[in-house]
Amino acid sequence: MTMHQVPAEDTKPAYNYAYLDEQTKRMIRRALLKAVAVPGYQVPFGSREMPLARGWGTGGIQVTAAIIGPSDALKVIDQGADDTTNAVSIRKFFERTADARTTEATEEATIIQTRHRIPEAPLKSGQVIVYQVPMPEPLRKLEPREAETRKMHAWAEYGLMQVKLYENIARFGEVTTTYDYPVLVNGRYVTAPSPIPKFDNPKMHMSPALQLFGAGREKRIYAIPPHTSVKSLDFEDHPFRIQSWTEPCGLCGAGDSYLDEVVIDDRGARMFVCSDSHYCETRRAEGHRGAMLGDAALTGLVEETKP
Amino acid sequence: MTTMIQVENVAKTFTLHNQGGTRLPVFDDVNFTVEAGEALVLAGASGAGKSSLLRILYGNYRPTSGAIRITHAGRPVDIVSAVPRTVLDIRRRTLGFVSQFLRVIPRVSALDIVRDPLLARGASQGEASDRAKAMLTRLNLPERLWNLAPATFSGGEQQRVNIARSFVDPSPIMLIDEPTASLDAANRDVVVELISEARTAGSAIVGIFHDEAVRERVATRYLDITSFRKAA
Amino acid sequence: MTVHASFPDAALEPAPLLTVSGVSRFYGERIGCADVSFDLWPGEVLGIVGESGSGKSTLLRCLAGIDKPDAGEVLFRAGPEPLDIYSVSEQERRRLMRTAWGIVHQNPRDGLRMDVTAGGNVGERLMDRGDRHYGKIRERALDWLQRVEIAGSRIDDRPRQFSGGMQQRLQIARVLVSEPRLVFMDEPTGGLDVSVQARLLDLLRVLVRDLGLAAIIVTHDLAVARLLTDRLMVMKDGHVVEQGLTDQVLDDPHHAYTQLLTSAVLSV
Repeated sequence: MTMHQVPAEDTKPAYNYAYLDEQTKRMIRRALLKAVAVPGYQVPFGSREMPLARGWGTGGIQVTAAIIGPSDALKVIDQGADDTTNAVSIRKFFERTADARTTEATEEATIIQTRHRIPEAPLKSGQVIVYQVPMPEPLRKLEPREAETRKMHAWAEYGLMQVKLYENIARFGEVTTTYDYPVLVNGRYVTAPSPIPKFDNPKMHMSPALQLFGAGREKRIYAIPPHTSVKSLDFEDHPFRIQSWTEPCGLCGAGDSYLDEVVIDDRGARMFVCSDSHYCETRRAEGHRGAMLGDAALTGLVEETKP
Repeated sequence: MTTMIQVENVAKTFTLHNQGGTRLPVFDDVNFTVEAGEALVLAGASGAGKSSLLRILYGNYRPTSGAIRITHAGRPVDIVSAVPRTVLDIRRRTLGFVSQFLRVIPRVSALDIVRDPLLARGASQGEASDRAKAMLTRLNLPERLWNLAPATFSGGEQQRVNIARSFVDPSPIMLIDEPTASLDAANRDVVVELISEARTAGSAIVGIFHDEAVRERVATRYLDITSFRKAA
Repeated sequence: MTVHASFPDAALEPAPLLTVSGVSRFYGERIGCADVSFDLWPGEVLGIVGESGSGKSTLLRCLAGIDKPDAGEVLFRAGPEPLDIYSVSEQERRRLMRTAWGIVHQNPRDGLRMDVTAGGNVGERLMDRGDRHYGKIRERALDWLQRVEIAGSRIDDRPRQFSGGMQQRLQIARVLVSEPRLVFMDEPTGGLDVSVQARLLDLLRVLVRDLGLAAIIVTHDLAVARLLTDRLMVMKDGHVVEQGLTDQVLDDPHHAYTQLLTSAVLSV
């Protein structure tokens, strides 16, 4: 990769291409290669200070910065939406530092940086999805000692993880973990899928896209290469199940997407809408109409798209 | 006749290290044998060491020298030099000890105490219960006590539980130390019968009986151990 | 000492479960335990007695693989090949500690997960070895709770809601559920009331007999040793001063220190 040439009259600061210096990017790429070679294994890396607070996606940004190039199209989502503050900031960051072409269309993106969701549209071969990970160690809450959790991973001692699920079922009749639901990658490493809803876990299994995970504060990188098995932990008699809703999306009528509950007035009226904003818009553009689309347009909640 | 016990050149001296290394010689050059089907009664004045000799035969006291060959599973085994697990196996299958005192185990009922040796030798739960109940009945232990732990029993009741435990499945060798000490006449008779039955069935008996009448009814042979006393 | 020399009976087990040779552990100049050797056979219960500081807990930690001795070897025969527990990988040793043997700590807090329910505590070893059927795990946990006399209705309660005696019984169930061949116990009745001790001792006695467990029990209480153990090792200043059948050692002690120990108690 070449230095980003900054014209003399430009007022932009002389950042390197994609903000990080080349040595750092190489270091991150080496960590990524190792992570791809050992699916689900957490590779330590020298996480850098970024121009936003740790915990706001610095891990994901560093991974993206290490892999992005001028021909890439970047999509950034936060809570499934392209237009939330964090997503907008990160998208602008790469527009300024990497001259990146950005897009909201899942199908067009070559890199999708995400927090909290995997897009509803199926990912394709050649796409890379970068997860922002606050807490990469799935065993941490059960075992506080880092040396011990590393041994547990090294020797696949995962009984304790199962105890956590047992406790859930014993107390609540079901596994109550709804996000960051632990998975077994490639039949070997128990891995944190980052705080995506368990609804998205099945999308990770045998995905044709490359899945990269960056935890900036915890300084860990891990990966799930394309076409790798990802199994959500469960019991034979309490199989893994995803969330379901009794009604479809109020805006686009989709019955197969992850829905957010939105309160729409001061009297407690509410509606369920797709959390994946691009998916919802695409469906509305295709002419799908949810039961509450008219009302929502009237209150200015959404712009009604004309088919 | 089968020789069940063969005592060879046994000597025993106690050394009391915490009392200036005082040495208490008890026996020297003890030699005798006991055959299956006989009842050898140890005789000698009080303090002559009858109980100590019985404990040596059981492997509880360790002689200073000599050998004691116990016929176990058809072949002689020296209980003095045998490793602990062999001694335990001999005790489990060949060698029974009947003392005057029951070692009370917390919370274990009288019936379970009596069933225990049968279960240890592989009897079924049902068979063990039936035989244990029959034995407790014969020794006149009231049925209301069967399912209680004997900790609160009288001395005589505890003693009868202990005898029931020992005779519910008599061992090929029975070592008996004053079994009738605190029993009434009727129960004493039962004990004498039990010993005779065991002997007739082939057990070798070695016993100490303070009560002269009991002694005479049980003994087929006497051994005066005074001759083994070591001159201090 | 081999049994074949004195008693070639094929009916007995062919090999010891544990062979300990020359185990020594030093803390600088101070002796933890020195040159300890013995065999433990399947189903045997060995007691290690001595005063505080005699080295019995140090020895137990070495035998259980928690600490590594400075010299000596411990061979464990769980399968066809004996394993030298100090030269096998840490992974193998950890696996052994979760399956073929178990440790009952004096303080139940050291052996239990205090914020996991009783059922989860008992089920952990089953899940460790790969059991993944919730109903069956729960069924076995329930069975074990009842065997250690904890009401089945307490299965979803956490250990901190239990009394000390119950916690200790729960710890025992948690260890025994994987059907270990060998159990290490460090003062299992320490810190319990006398009446609670009696109940626990009786429970241990029955479990050891019914399961054919081999056990090594460290205790300073000779009455506990009398009730639970077949054999006894008496330790003083890190050395084994006397060993033999439990009743031999307690009734006819030969070593000066053992005579002192047995005369110091009222009645065992």
